[in-house]
Amino acid sequence: MGDNNNSPPGSPKEADHDSDANQLVKDDSSLETIVRKFQDSMSIGKRHAFWETQPVGQFKDLGDVSLAEGPIEPPTPLSEVKQEPYNLPTQYEWTTCDLDSEDTCTEVYNLLKNNYVEDDENMFRFNYSKEFLRWALHPPGYFRSWHIGVRAKTNKKLVAFITGVPARIRVRNEIVKMAEINFLCVHKKLRSKRLAPVMIKEVTRRVHLENIWQAAYTAGVVLPTPITTCQYWHRSLNPKKLIDVGFSRLGARMTMSRTIKLYKLPDSPATPGFRKMELRDVPAVTRLLRNYLSQFVVAPDFDENDVEHWLLPEENVVDSYLVESPETHEVTDFCSFYTLPSSILGNQTYSILKAAYSYYNVSTKTPLLQLMNDALIVAKQKDFDVFNALDVMQNESFLKELKFGPGDGQLHYYLYNYRMRNALKPSELGLVLL
Amino acid sequence: MGEWQQLLQSIFLGLIFSYLLAKLIAIVISFKEDNLSITRAHTTPTDINLPRPKPQPHDDPPRSADLTSAAIEAESVVAEHGSVRNESSEAGSDDDWEGVESTELDELFSAATAFVASAATDRQKVSNDAQLQLYGLYKIATEGPCSVPQPSALKMTARAKWQAWQKLGAMPPEDAMEKYIDIVTELYPTWAAGLTVKSRGGDGNAPGTDSNGPMGPVFSTFVYEEESENDSKMDAIHAFAREGEVDNLLKCIESGVSVDLKDSEGRTPLHWAVDRGHLNMAELLVSKNANVNAKDNDGQTALHYAVMCDREGVAEYLVKQNADTGAKDNDGSSPCDLCESNWPWLQRAKE
Repeated sequence: MGDNNNSPPGSPKEADHDSDANQLVKDDSSLETIVRKFQDSMSIGKRHAFWETQPVGQFKDLGDVSLAEGPIEPPTPLSEVKQEPYNLPTQYEWTTCDLDSEDTCTEVYNLLKNNYVEDDENMFRFNYSKEFLRWALHPPGYFRSWHIGVRAKTNKKLVAFITGVPARIRVRNEIVKMAEINFLCVHKKLRSKRLAPVMIKEVTRRVHLENIWQAAYTAGVVLPTPITTCQYWHRSLNPKKLIDVGFSRLGARMTMSRTIKLYKLPDSPATPGFRKMELRDVPAVTRLLRNYLSQFVVAPDFDENDVEHWLLPEENVVDSYLVESPETHEVTDFCSFYTLPSSILGNQTYSILKAAYSYYNVSTKTPLLQLMNDALIVAKQKDFDVFNALDVMQNESFLKELKFGPGDGQLHYYLYNYRMRNALKPSELGLVLL
Repeated sequence: MGEWQQLLQSIFLGLIFSYLLAKLIAIVISFKEDNLSITRAHTTPTDINLPRPKPQPHDDPPRSADLTSAAIEAESVVAEHGSVRNESSEAGSDDDWEGVESTELDELFSAATAFVASAATDRQKVSNDAQLQLYGLYKIATEGPCSVPQPSALKMTARAKWQAWQKLGAMPPEDAMEKYIDIVTELYPTWAAGLTVKSRGGDGNAPGTDSNGPMGPVFSTFVYEEESENDSKMDAIHAFAREGEVDNLLKCIESGVSVDLKDSEGRTPLHWAVDRGHLNMAELLVSKNANVNAKDNDGQTALHYAVMCDREGVAEYLVKQNADTGAKDNDGSSPCDLCESNWPWLQRAKE
């Protein structure tokens, strides 16, 4: 892990300017990735006026071994943290969103449903369910003050949203208290009102007020400086629907019939002792997971409370399965995925795309490939259309073999106020943000 | 009482004196500033305009890269200044979104700031004066009148910028936006040309905004993969059947092409029509005496395809046309074996 050769294996080292860029993107020779690589290198060459003033890893410092890993700025005394919220344009006001209130939760749900992340071609938009939002925002020790909304003063409509949740994240040997920042959304009618930056500043301020000085977040764009850049992969479970709605395409010489045959899965999982996780499994799963995650450079530090919250199955939110040895009754393997549907925009037949996202998977006895194939089988049983996974942890070892295809989405991971000496490989990252 | 007055008076005099002193220093410094060559470290957006000491390694990026990075840059520029903008007119209308929604001016201004940010690599020289002017207008437009304390005399750049902002007083943000756009247009008469390209591609979303978010998850779909069966060969008639192009297919048949012509995988036009779910095409082919039970190289008939693809209407039609529900493919499976749906007419046909 301590090596300073930042270029991924197999990528030719180019003249010094470009090597900075190349270490951030994966080595691949397809035209698509070459173009993307070039675009990334362009945006790295560009200046990031905001981020250059922030305590984040800077491009110019990449590979500079003289800089120590760790916090970039020391914590300031709490009394010096700005006590009042940042100013909003006069026609808006801050609000704290209580997701336990059905009305507020519905407002947040609707804001995201209508305005949150879409694909490049605006065919799909994330449709996080209310149960999911409550789950994602109410982990152990959460702060309600970190669920921040903006309302229009005139009609009290919720027009923007951003959240943080607390997490203990281990970076190499240090366990760091962080905020995971997510769900930044500004109403479509208010884009170009420049609300997002002040929202980021406000959530940062409220995180500081809880004496927390680091954060983790993801983005689809390159900012200073990703700790790693991951790639999405997709496994068709319902290929006909995916083709009909434009999520995937049928090659001109490929038949639907053969495609369906290709992605067919057995009716039931193959591994003996494969079953749903239950409350009584929390201690065993926690042990399994802690041990497994210890091999990654950046990973959450889960205790039993965290495991109970994040991994105990909840209908339409998170599914977890484990392998209990039929002989010893020992829990040897574990897999999980969360449910994130999306609205299908402008299709006559279908309105919802049901996607499962690979979460945390641990294999000690069952081969990971077989374990994940069983995960695909139960996801298919549960009527998911597609199973998505990032190439984090050991996922790369099963993606191609289990017929995942590469996606057009890249996800960059970032830490706020924490410097990494060099970028990680996706396989060195043990963290999944929702 | 007298003491109070005296105290107030001396504070007042002190204030005036220090103000004058500060002003004097400021004047001296801004004078110097004008004559300085600007190559120091940049931390704020107006600095983006400053000519770079070294030319950028990439001078002519392709348009797409340019736009992408411009959008990102706009976000960051925007991010630095926050959005503490004071609208001069309060929205008092019944219309839900009036006064809340972004105006055209908002969007144009936003695009102009994005353009200025992206012009960082441009070698075109923009005078220091113009840069300061843009800075001042930007601050008025985004934060309103200057209310921050004057930076220390040692921070000369910061000082000059503060003055540029401060001297605009209480100019309404809308005016500032308009003036900003005017200056940009004067400096780069063609800047708006790039804008039309961008907004056309942007599907109505305001350019340079956070439609793809400065942070958060990403929606990914399959990368379009080139043919996995590149070695397979098919004729025009198969493509017409696949695409449901009835007229073209008829012309093919009229010109003497066999209605049961097989492609390299042994598929007939009927296989292709059924695979893509074109019932009318299947009917046409059958009316032209296509063989309903023709098998492909895997031993599958059109009915196997209909069942695999869960196309009930087409499957039922084929069965009515005496398609063999028990025909075995090379794996030994009949259409009935493969059928996962509950189609009563198929069960009946089997019996």
